[in-house]
Amino acid sequence: MIALKRSLLARAADDRMVVAVALALAATAAVVVVGGLSGYRVNTIGQLACFALLALALDLIWGYAGILSLGHGLFFAIGGYVVGMHLLERSVAETGITPDIVQFMGWKALPGWWGPLESFPVALVAAMGVSFAVAFVFGWASFRSRVSGVYFAIITQALVYVAMLLMFRNDTGFGGNNGMTGFQVAFGVPIQDPAVTKGLALASVLVLLAALVGCRLLMIGRFGRLLVATRDDEVRLRSLGYETLRLKLKVWCLSAVLAALAGLLYVPQVGIINPRVLSPELSIEIAVWCAIGGRGRLAGAIIGAVLVNAVKFALSASLPELWPFVLAALVIVVALIFPNGLLDLGKWKPTLLSRARALEPRDATP
Amino acid sequence: MRMGRRLGLLLLAFGAGWGSPALAYDRAQIATQACSGAAGLSEAAATLTAGASSATPEDAAWAARLTGALLDKTIRCGAGASTIESPSGSVDAATLAKAAPAEGPAPVLSLKNRPLVETARAAATLFAGATAGDRATALRALERRAASLPPELFETAAAREPDAGLKEQILGVGQSALLNSPDVAKRIAAIERIAAQPSRRAETQIAALKSDPAYAKQPAFAAAVDAGLASIDRWLRVSSVANTLYNGLSFASILFMAAVGLAIIFGLMGVINLAQGEFIMLGAYVTYAVQETLRAVAPGLLDWYLILAIPVVFLVVAAVGVALEATLVRRLYTRPLMTLLATWAVSLLIVNLVRVGVGTQNLQFVTPSWLAGGKLLVGDFIVTWNRLFAIVFAGVTLVATWAVLKRTPLGLNIRAVTQNRAMAGCIGVPTRRVDMMAFGLGSGLAGLAGLALCPIYNVNPQMGSNFVIDSFMVVVLGGVGTLAGTVVAALGVGQINVLIEPLYGAVAAKVIVLLMIVGFLQWRPEGLYAVKGRRK
Amino acid sequence: MTVAVLVEGLTVEFGRFRALNDLSLAIDYGEVRGVVGPNGAGKTTLLDVISGVSRAKAGRVLFDETMELTRASEAEIARSGVRRKFQKPSVFEALTVRDNVAIGLGAKPGADGPEKVARMLETVGLTSEADRLAGELAHGQKQWLEIAMVVVAEPKVLMLDEPVAGLTDEETERTAALVKALRSPGRAIIVVEHDMDFVERISDRVTVLHEGRTLFEGSMARARADAAVVDVYLGR
Repeated sequence: MIALKRSLLARAADDRMVVAVALALAATAAVVVVGGLSGYRVNTIGQLACFALLALALDLIWGYAGILSLGHGLFFAIGGYVVGMHLLERSVAETGITPDIVQFMGWKALPGWWGPLESFPVALVAAMGVSFAVAFVFGWASFRSRVSGVYFAIITQALVYVAMLLMFRNDTGFGGNNGMTGFQVAFGVPIQDPAVTKGLALASVLVLLAALVGCRLLMIGRFGRLLVATRDDEVRLRSLGYETLRLKLKVWCLSAVLAALAGLLYVPQVGIINPRVLSPELSIEIAVWCAIGGRGRLAGAIIGAVLVNAVKFALSASLPELWPFVLAALVIVVALIFPNGLLDLGKWKPTLLSRARALEPRDATP
Repeated sequence: MRMGRRLGLLLLAFGAGWGSPALAYDRAQIATQACSGAAGLSEAAATLTAGASSATPEDAAWAARLTGALLDKTIRCGAGASTIESPSGSVDAATLAKAAPAEGPAPVLSLKNRPLVETARAAATLFAGATAGDRATALRALERRAASLPPELFETAAAREPDAGLKEQILGVGQSALLNSPDVAKRIAAIERIAAQPSRRAETQIAALKSDPAYAKQPAFAAAVDAGLASIDRWLRVSSVANTLYNGLSFASILFMAAVGLAIIFGLMGVINLAQGEFIMLGAYVTYAVQETLRAVAPGLLDWYLILAIPVVFLVVAAVGVALEATLVRRLYTRPLMTLLATWAVSLLIVNLVRVGVGTQNLQFVTPSWLAGGKLLVGDFIVTWNRLFAIVFAGVTLVATWAVLKRTPLGLNIRAVTQNRAMAGCIGVPTRRVDMMAFGLGSGLAGLAGLALCPIYNVNPQMGSNFVIDSFMVVVLGGVGTLAGTVVAALGVGQINVLIEPLYGAVAAKVIVLLMIVGFLQWRPEGLYAVKGRRK
Repeated sequence: MTVAVLVEGLTVEFGRFRALNDLSLAIDYGEVRGVVGPNGAGKTTLLDVISGVSRAKAGRVLFDETMELTRASEAEIARSGVRRKFQKPSVFEALTVRDNVAIGLGAKPGADGPEKVARMLETVGLTSEADRLAGELAHGQKQWLEIAMVVVAEPKVLMLDEPVAGLTDEETERTAALVKALRSPGRAIIVVEHDMDFVERISDRVTVLHEGRTLFEGSMARARADAAVVDVYLGR
């Protein structure tokens, strides 16, 4: 009976954490709306929300299905590049100013096939559609041949690396090394307007909130339980009559689309997209946010992403050389001492340590 | 009219040189010509070049002196006689007897005349040069214009040349000169001999003959030119393939050394060390440290630093690997995915420590004398010693690794634990110790990869990332548990990269390699040489 | 009487090792078949092939005289009513006991799903543990939980790989009673086990495998008397 209480308590704790994070997000949204914050602060909140959404996307597949992707920057970049094309099209249409990309790419005007992306709904559908399609093809090929675990992780790493090399080339046609920048207007308003900053930050926080609630509902339902079952013992689940390929493919594509949304919200806020978001390091960092916050609990991913990036922003301003050391130290400490991430910090007592170890999220069976 | 006369004179001068032994220069006239403006200067240079093969040794020495003075602007063109100035006093430009310095400037060398005078000096020096080095330098200067020079120049020079090696070289260059011989048979023979030593230069030389009047008029000549070109083209294609394969092989050698450690560790413990690229970098930096230590302590041994560094690099990087295993990897034994992140953190740490401690610039390595250059095998395919070193080194590493795995107690333990960890543990194999040793072995091998690439690639703190993803691909492709898989996969990935690169670029090569691997996994999910077994 | 599982000329190789060598056998509905043999005889490999985990090099496996199992996927085989408990207790440790059994019910549990799950938990005596995480169960309880997961879908062919390995005598006793209770005319049960007494108590017939071939087939009592079986199995 004591054990029963304990596991119910653990679940309740997770629920409480999700509710707390959701309330915090709602409060943040309210603060952004009511105002009083500087444009810089609002912008920072918006960026952090995008990173949190990215971490949430990764937690779906890593925390629940046990599939680690070290290439999620790819989907983030898809969203970012699509919205970049959209913003350039809008800017040209409304201001007539020729963007830099036209010059350094040696074009006369933006490529004709970008035209439809001038409409935001088209851009939104395109970002989600392309990331879905890429995720589907790659996921289908990998899961079908039962590539999993470490193999899958390093192949996704190679995938994002290759994508980065491709985008660095001018011939690929997306601005090469320089990427896309110089956006003039967003949603019909000059991009420097504080209302744009506010609106984007608010949208990011609200999308994150919706994604958190939606994913939590999905994960405590049957689909989520089957994902956990896949992680714990995929062969067992297959031998109970479930097509794990379909389960994995569904969550993989969902995760990719969420990551693309994060990129789509992020790029207008920083005003640039270039191949550096495709660097393998960034993709590994996403996993690091999840690991630090605690994976398999959604709230942990958000807390991890916000925490790590807040420290990163603070240090980048004052001591940029120190950041890699801090990050490395954080990862090692979390890996060695808090297998469930910093969420364990609260209940880190010697008596609970052994139990935490016993129930720590395991990697998927090979 | 003037042009025609000068051309006639030039031809006369060439003609006069041929077959008439020891025709003395009219020194005074030449010296005067040299001082009489641009036209005279070019005639003087032509006369000197044409007469070089028949000049007496004294005349040759004088010609070298005069042309040298023209180039150095130490000649003074006076109203009557001209003089050459030197630290030991002035001499008459024609007789080299002591004379009062003439009043006047040195003639201006036009863009057109400078090469003519340089050729004249080189022709004279080929005979009068005091040392073999001087004569070899002169030969190199003549080589570029050999086709426009009288063949006798080289025949005579070769006949008089005491140095056997240089004699060969002079004869070789002479072939180019023979291309312009008035005797068609000689020209055809020269074409054949040049085509027998295929190179880009030979191709250009012979291709130029297509616009020669003889090409249209004399079928035998045209046939010889065409056959020569075809033969050179064939050999150039062979040598270009050989070059590509050779570069691919050296790249594959580095990849093999980087990946074999990864594959052994992955097979044994199911973890991938993301810091493997940084271990390669550490290997290169330790090599650099050995080089610098030798430079300071024992400069005589500096030439052998690459060899002396081998044990140091292996032991240092293996020790780092063992430390990493003992402090981090073994504690994450049940969580291979967390190991990925933790080792990535370590790689971040290493890169930034090196960046802060040593700096971000490329390290400067001494090229040992025994690694400089290479051997020209065929066409323009050169077996460069630095790449050969990497290949041979990887070969030795392969044999050594094979021996360790198959012939030592450690190897037996590694194989046992790889196949069945629980069972090996039950029969008393110290599995954790085996893990640690294997991790050390794998890391040490990565360090050796770093050593082997020092003479070929740039060494800086970021270099690890250039190799690590390719090494992963080798592990995925090769499967785990067999050396053969790693060897074949490294050769495959290395060669595909290098083969595709010249056709579609380096990026396309990487894309194609990745697509091929994902495709390949569709029918061989466990890699090339996986040991299949039932579910444990 | 229909044959539940018909194995014909089955050969399985792992590299150069031949785990099953031209094996043939037939298991009827209503039967409990014990499969015994020394380590490496191919017992688990046989279950692997029937459940679709391993692929055969040659031969075929017919289920219900109609369905060819060697070409079907694990999930298809399971959905058609062939279920299997693994040698190593395989439960979903991060899910509750109840969730585990509910998952065993399959993708379409139906309206009476929760009731079936509750009955099944009662049968294996895990009702009081229903809301615990499966990872917290004792070894014996995990064995039963896994049996409950495969049995709750009422399979036509039930394969149990070492169901009493690591269990106490009392737990073994209860497992034997459970297997006997699961026996029904519409179901074939295949039990792979090292515990001879257990096999003797529950099975109608035994198949003795040796080096991937059938060495003996018949009652346990006769198997014990068979010279060849005694020779290879009891290691004389």
